[in-house]
Amino acid sequence: MFRLNMGRSLVYWVLAGAFALTLVGCGGNRLEQPSRGRIGMTCMDLTNPYFKLIANVMQKEAARHGYELVALDGNNDAAKQNNQMSDFVAQKYSAIFLNPADSRAAGEGVKKAHAAGIPVFTFDVQVADEEAKALVVSHIGSDNYQGGRLAAESMMEVTADRGKIAIISYPEISSCIFRVQGFRDYLKEHHSQLDIVTELSGKGNRNDGYATATDVLQAHPDIVAIFGVNDPSALGAYAAVVKAGREDDITVIGFDASPAGKQAVFEKKLYDTPQQFPRKMAVGTVDAFMKYLEGDALPKTTLIPCAHYRYADSVNDESRIKEQW
Amino acid sequence: MVKTRIQLKKLLSDYGMLAILLLLCLFFSLLTLKQQQPQGQSAAKQLANAVAQKASPGERVLVVAGTQKASQDTARMVAEMLGRRSFSRVMEVRGTPRDLRLALDRLRDESERPAAIAVTSEAVEWRVWEILPEAYPEFGQVTLVTPETYYWPDFLKLSNLLAVVDRIVVIAIIAIGMTMVIITAGIDLSVGSLIALAGVISTLVMKQLGGLGAPAWTVAAGFLIGIVSCGLLGAFGGFLVARFKVAPFITTLALMMVARGLAFSITGGFSIYQVPDALTWLGQGRSLGIPNTVILLAVLYAGAHIFMSRTTLGRYIYAVGGNEEAARLSGVPVAGVIVFVYIVSAVAAGVGGCIQASQLNAGTPNAGLMYELYVIAAVVVGGTSLSGGSGTILGTLIGAFIISVVQNGMNLLGIESYTQNVVLGLVILGAVLLDRLRGGASLAFLTGRGSAD
Amino acid sequence: MIRVARVQTADSPNQPMDTSESSAPILQMRGMCKRFPGVDALRDVDLDLYAGECLAVCGENGAGKSTLIKLLGGAFHADAGEIRLFGAPVQIRSPAAAQRMGISIIYQEFNLIPELTARENIFLGREVGRFGFPDRRRESATAWSLFERIGVAIDPESRCSELNVAEQQAVEIAKALSWDARVIVMDEPSATLTEPETRRLFQVIRDLKADGIGLIFISHRLDEIFEVAERVLVLRDGRLVSQHRTHEVCREELINRMVGRSLDSEFPRRSVQPGREVLRVENLRRGRSVRGVNFGVRAGEVLGLAGLVGAGRTDTVRLIFGADRLECGTIFIDGSRRRIGSPQDAIRNGICLLTEDRKAQGLVLDHSARENFGLPNLDQFSSHLFIDHEKEKNSFEHYVRAMRIQLHSFDQPARTLSGGNQQKVVLAKWLARNSRIVIFDEPTRGIDVGAKYEIYQLINDLASQGKAVIMISSELPEILGMSNRVIVMHEGEVKAEINDVGGTGQEELLAMMVASGTGV
Repeated sequence: MFRLNMGRSLVYWVLAGAFALTLVGCGGNRLEQPSRGRIGMTCMDLTNPYFKLIANVMQKEAARHGYELVALDGNNDAAKQNNQMSDFVAQKYSAIFLNPADSRAAGEGVKKAHAAGIPVFTFDVQVADEEAKALVVSHIGSDNYQGGRLAAESMMEVTADRGKIAIISYPEISSCIFRVQGFRDYLKEHHSQLDIVTELSGKGNRNDGYATATDVLQAHPDIVAIFGVNDPSALGAYAAVVKAGREDDITVIGFDASPAGKQAVFEKKLYDTPQQFPRKMAVGTVDAFMKYLEGDALPKTTLIPCAHYRYADSVNDESRIKEQW
Repeated sequence: MVKTRIQLKKLLSDYGMLAILLLLCLFFSLLTLKQQQPQGQSAAKQLANAVAQKASPGERVLVVAGTQKASQDTARMVAEMLGRRSFSRVMEVRGTPRDLRLALDRLRDESERPAAIAVTSEAVEWRVWEILPEAYPEFGQVTLVTPETYYWPDFLKLSNLLAVVDRIVVIAIIAIGMTMVIITAGIDLSVGSLIALAGVISTLVMKQLGGLGAPAWTVAAGFLIGIVSCGLLGAFGGFLVARFKVAPFITTLALMMVARGLAFSITGGFSIYQVPDALTWLGQGRSLGIPNTVILLAVLYAGAHIFMSRTTLGRYIYAVGGNEEAARLSGVPVAGVIVFVYIVSAVAAGVGGCIQASQLNAGTPNAGLMYELYVIAAVVVGGTSLSGGSGTILGTLIGAFIISVVQNGMNLLGIESYTQNVVLGLVILGAVLLDRLRGGASLAFLTGRGSAD
Repeated sequence: MIRVARVQTADSPNQPMDTSESSAPILQMRGMCKRFPGVDALRDVDLDLYAGECLAVCGENGAGKSTLIKLLGGAFHADAGEIRLFGAPVQIRSPAAAQRMGISIIYQEFNLIPELTARENIFLGREVGRFGFPDRRRESATAWSLFERIGVAIDPESRCSELNVAEQQAVEIAKALSWDARVIVMDEPSATLTEPETRRLFQVIRDLKADGIGLIFISHRLDEIFEVAERVLVLRDGRLVSQHRTHEVCREELINRMVGRSLDSEFPRRSVQPGREVLRVENLRRGRSVRGVNFGVRAGEVLGLAGLVGAGRTDTVRLIFGADRLECGTIFIDGSRRRIGSPQDAIRNGICLLTEDRKAQGLVLDHSARENFGLPNLDQFSSHLFIDHEKEKNSFEHYVRAMRIQLHSFDQPARTLSGGNQQKVVLAKWLARNSRIVIFDEPTRGIDVGAKYEIYQLINDLASQGKAVIMISSELPEILGMSNRVIVMHEGEVKAEINDVGGTGQEELLAMMVASGTGV
């Protein structure tokens, strides 16, 4: 009985100790005040290498200016991001960099931060709520609309402007909506002969892109090309094309120039993947904050234009070889 | 002697988790101790005094505030106090650093120079002060006056404590229903999806009834329809469990898919955000200075606590979970009790969904992803046994707060998202394990004695 | 008073073997002590077991029997004392260790996994074969030979859930033998067996003795102790009270030793004349288990329901209580027909059922005694949906006093009460309901002698208050000693009715229970 008690209290203390250590280990090094202040950053999905890269670059860039950047994962959950914003506000962070998981549901967090006197900068995705949008100091993002136009340009080039094509879209995300819009507008303005037979959601990931493209190929076996609205959906679509044995007569175009996308272009699986510049976006966001602090004039929106990324661009591209964005 | 022992165990298992919660609060308070910028009357007085020492009444004085209301109020008070001391040329600047720069430019253009600048709270951080000598050499030596800072934990600031409640309110309310379900030895996995369904249905109703400018009753109607829809789904699930003995896990798993699918198909995957302004009253409004969510939480928990501990139906719920057959043979309407708890759980999820819609001012079809697991964690951390028959409503509240405090505390400490999940998982495990070691294992020890001979 | 004729013992080779007694004991326990919070479960108990003998351990519930065998089986660790096996001191650290040393315990609740076959259960944890693939053939052959040795015909490939209680017990014994057990402990092995099955069990015990295995036999049934055991230890309040050779001691003395006082009679007297008929059932039917049952009970009467396990007695009373759905048949209360579709209906009509399995069906074990008491009575204790805890407590207090229920506090979990007190709590909750028809299903199963007497008294009290009592019991002396009238069931039908209970012997009753088609 004595032994039993001993064992129990021992486990108790070990547990309590481990718990305290974990938290101290995580939190202890934050005890000393950063020199200038902290920036809170929350993005839709920190497990996505694209956002991880942005977070890293922002962290480095902020540190250069004497700020510590805390990057949190919004888990694609607007309510969670809302809570994270509340915590940033409670902590009186110097600024918030927001990449809304749901552009339509992010307004309340922005209003809260503004009311507490904390400047909010959005990157990559804008908030939709007009009232909140006015409160955002500045938005820095890719010019997705122009990127969509680039994809359309390549599409006309590779298909000689003839035949049926399909779009694997992701209408839940506004940036992807802009890409499709740019794509369609370019075709219309150039009186393209291309016939867009279908536009279906691939939910922005490889699995669903694959499943959707498989269904598209069943319904429309005569298509000549597919535009995947981001690289995962495009690569998923390519896998479906290979499965159907059609890789020689169907061209796939992606978007993003992700590491996988770049490699796919190099291997001639994708014809083009209009390139975004996450580094520029990250640096631009931090710069905007610095300018804000100095009281410099800031544009409400800064859109970084996209660029083609085709086979010729990939051959000697060091970032592709190093598997970087 | 055994009697006191039993009472001691009861005390520990009732309030042991409370001790853990308080320890966590203490822990985060210590770690978030930090310099704070004072605001309000005292800060204003300080600033006014300092300015009066450094500058003379005839000179130009600037008072700078940010966009925060409290900061602007402080600035106004400084200006008034200086005015009373016959400083006639006081200028208030409110807004962003850009506004300050424009004001300074104007002064320079009018070839004036400020003798002193009083800076309130967040404006202290602006880098304008660093570039002042280079950007405005004309001003020469300018005296900057800032209020003296003091030390206080971020965690213990009223605004943060309210944020702690605010973030958990949805999960905590749903946990009431979940506690009842788990006490009957069931489980409800559909609550996360029901959050989305309720939010989407209610905002859609509001939008249909008038959208942005619609009157407040449309909000009430939306909430009602959203909550009732959830209740119907819950009743259906409860019926399947009670009447056909379908395992609760699989029944509610199916309903989870159904509800999520409905939420997406109703909205086509988009959030609904053109909703009446009155929507935010529930999730963001205050009554008598207390956030409505906090009031709602307190009222629901008090009601549920009384319900579970003092009413016949509450006792029946415990009995069904403790021994369904014995309860049935004692004349307890078992099927009715089971249907009831699933309805309560679904309705609670509906209420949670409405609150979340109100907090976000939008109905989102992917709201509440994984919430069922947080809710279950809160209930179990709160001491309710997954095998049914035991648990308390107040324990669940404490469990919910433990989760909330840990999440909030880690955000305050700026711990990385990846690490946060690891820590939260460990905290849940640790809390449950401590509970078992302290209360559970020793209770089993006692009962082991009971069946020993 | 009914005395049990010990006919069977006369021709059974039951004399202790002198050779083994003179040699050293195979198992010695010396000065065993075990304390639990608040109670000394065992104080300084000695035990010797010789090869080839059967040693009975008896005592009331709470006397320390289970603790003693759990020490032996490695489930508990002794606070003091020494165990020697074949003369060498041993430490039994775990149930597995006990098994390896050749000590096998067969508990009342079997340690069998229902979904595994008999063979798989026997070899669980030490499968014969290589690389995780059991060698079915070799295992099966061993299992067959084990079953043969104990004289039962069980297919080792049948799943345990398909076996009846006696067969499951045989599997446990076979498992013990497969470990080469030298000491086998049986805890209440006959509690759930029918008479013929018990006979067969005793034959197995005799065979095991002949093989030189030492047996420790725990039972409430004194007749059985006299039948199979050579010696008997009596425990009371954790102490060893006395040791006897069974042929040198009589039944009354054993009871007195166990209880610590003398009971004038095993069954208290009752003098009440049955009144008019309160309950009558006609042509009750459900599936194969209840096939057209008719009987009536009168106020102030105790009606005994006799029959073998599986004769349909429990199924019949469950139908009357609405616990199962009636397929056909009518229930009359006070002469008028009532529809009883659920326990709630039955309770409303003043019927209550004290189930056979208190733990699984009668009580919410982890809830307090008070809450268990209140469960069917909340409507009386509440106003406007809210429970008046004071009222509930007062009512419970009344019954605790009246029935002499022993508990530390009203909020004590039901699990921690002794069997007799659990039964009293269940009875109390129904009495508070003011039930007029009280059905007992095996009211004294697992309850010690002293508490049994109190339960009998309570049953008599009920009858004298004019309640109609139906009592199912597998203990023949009990059913003959307590009932005004007995009906005998066989395969779902009433086979006989005994009006002259006093003039009927146990053998006669047994014959009626076993033989189909005989009427009176």
